[in-house]
Amino acid sequence: MVRLALRDRVNSEAQERRSASQWAVAWRRFKKHKSGLFGLGMIVALVLVAIFHSFIAPYPARPDPGAFSPLYEGEAGQPPSWKHPFGTTIMGTDVFSELVHGTVYTLYVAIGTTLIAMLITVVVGISSGYLGRKVDDVLMRITEVFLVFPSLLLILVFARIYQLVNPEPFWNVLGISIPVNLTMIVIIVAVFAWAGNARVIRGEVMALKEKEFIQAAKSLGAGSRWIMLRHIFPNILPQVIVIATLTMASAVLIEAVVSFLGFGDPNTITWGRMMEESFQDMSTTWWAEVFPGLAVFFTVLAFNLMGDGISDALNPRLRE
Amino acid sequence: MGLMKYLVRRLIYMIPLILGISIVVFMVMYAAGDPIQIATAGNPSITEAQRQFLREYYGLNDPLPVQYLRWLDHFLHFDFGKSLYGGKPVNEIISIYFWETLKLQLVSIILAFAISIPIGIYSAVKQRSWFDYLFSGISIAGVSFPVFFLGIIFILVFSYQLGWLPSAGAHGAPQLWPVFGIQHPLLDELAHLVMPATVLTLAGLAYNTRLLRAGMLEVLRQDYIMAARASGIPERRILFKYALKNAIMPLITLLGMSIGFAIAGAPATETVFSWPGLGRAYVTAASRLDFPLIMGITMIITIMILVANLITDISYAAIDPRISID
Repeated sequence: MVRLALRDRVNSEAQERRSASQWAVAWRRFKKHKSGLFGLGMIVALVLVAIFHSFIAPYPARPDPGAFSPLYEGEAGQPPSWKHPFGTTIMGTDVFSELVHGTVYTLYVAIGTTLIAMLITVVVGISSGYLGRKVDDVLMRITEVFLVFPSLLLILVFARIYQLVNPEPFWNVLGISIPVNLTMIVIIVAVFAWAGNARVIRGEVMALKEKEFIQAAKSLGAGSRWIMLRHIFPNILPQVIVIATLTMASAVLIEAVVSFLGFGDPNTITWGRMMEESFQDMSTTWWAEVFPGLAVFFTVLAFNLMGDGISDALNPRLRE
Repeated sequence: MGLMKYLVRRLIYMIPLILGISIVVFMVMYAAGDPIQIATAGNPSITEAQRQFLREYYGLNDPLPVQYLRWLDHFLHFDFGKSLYGGKPVNEIISIYFWETLKLQLVSIILAFAISIPIGIYSAVKQRSWFDYLFSGISIAGVSFPVFFLGIIFILVFSYQLGWLPSAGAHGAPQLWPVFGIQHPLLDELAHLVMPATVLTLAGLAYNTRLLRAGMLEVLRQDYIMAARASGIPERRILFKYALKNAIMPLITLLGMSIGFAIAGAPATETVFSWPGLGRAYVTAASRLDFPLIMGITMIITIMILVANLITDISYAAIDPRISID
């Protein structure tokens, strides 16, 4: 028992020291990566806007997304001005305010989708790569099905069915109202966003499995679960972080497409929903279409730039 | 002989995949509730008896496994049933939209592939030159730019602002779009094709150049390239004969995948340009939950993706003799 505890302590201390310096090195490299830093800066700004959205937006969010009351006093279809920096829509809502309120949903989609997708990716990738044989066979057959699925098409059908089921609009969790329909879209998008990445992780794990330190842990009597959690997972973490950042980018992009096509959450005003609402009138009020589109673009760009930066910083092989 | 054996094995391997996917889609759709109820919800004058008749007509009263087996039987005879809206056979609807989508997608995929090769190679050879920075910047922006939003910008600029090109459809109706004052069916078709094809080409180009540049950078560092240089082989021959052949593999994979997925049309891009293709037809079908049509389009696309993957794998062996298909 004593020896076991000692071994654990030595193990974890060594790991901490090693990983701390590894992350410090990566951060030093990342700081030199100008476009990566730029992406990080934009994401930080986005998070701040989302936190303080009710202070930043000059007009409140629509109380009922079906009604257009907040600004409808002869202010409809105004071009950008000092009063309305991004103009107003044909229905009389302030584009800038709605964009600011929409940041919350954008971040919710990005983070929610990525958390679920990465959980599946990591579990499937590690167990398939490390356990091999039967587990690998079964998991990889399932992965192949998900790889050939025309995922966007199925996401649309799911989203539409859920729109018609028409559940309660919000869940109240600890005083925060969470849009139910948007949550469903997050889950659906995540369910279709792991297969390719799980294969990448599987490959990494299969290579790691043959390394001496894993063999050593095995010969010391460590179980599969222990090895997967304490030895394999920390070593694929850099790869996981890069994939997660890129998944955030594509989640924002897919949600925008789904909402733009009219399959989004009817109770929330996401950026894609704003583009859908203004599409018919874009020949007159182009600003109501272009600014939400630019918001989507810059957010996706920020995640992609950050992902590239992290990838370069964590992967020394690509440095030269 | 090896090829035939391989083909047969792969085709047999596809069968469970297709069956599995069709079962999943089928279950999902029928779990959604009564399609007749959904389809007629907006019609207040319909009676319950008429609904019952419709259910009987579409065979929706049978148990689910029976319905699935009947669907499968029809599917094996290339019959996807009839649309719930208007009662047109699904086959007919698909064949109308299929060619418009294929025309648009083939043009863009070929252009994106052809243009990306010189840009990708030159970016890698002149790494960290202004050319590389410019095109790397453009391509990461291109990857991040929502494709349908690019379409919207094009329409705003070239249709609404400048009035050069038509904003919607694949053909001029009721009258042809004049190109430099000439009205001709072929010119009209081209004028309608220019914007959506350009948008899809630019989107594909962004992915392709990123992939090819990364592949070339990797390959150019290899020892055999240095060996080739040392033996005095002309640089151009090294690039195109020895480096490109290895660097292009990931691009071929992407090409195979994109051909499969392209048949789905880009639903959002087709919607923006009101392109009469499969993608837009699918969006309409999905928003009405027109199950037979959804099922038909999904299955056609899935089969296309599988076939494209197969062709990709075979072409690997043709490009790289080290890869054997057995």
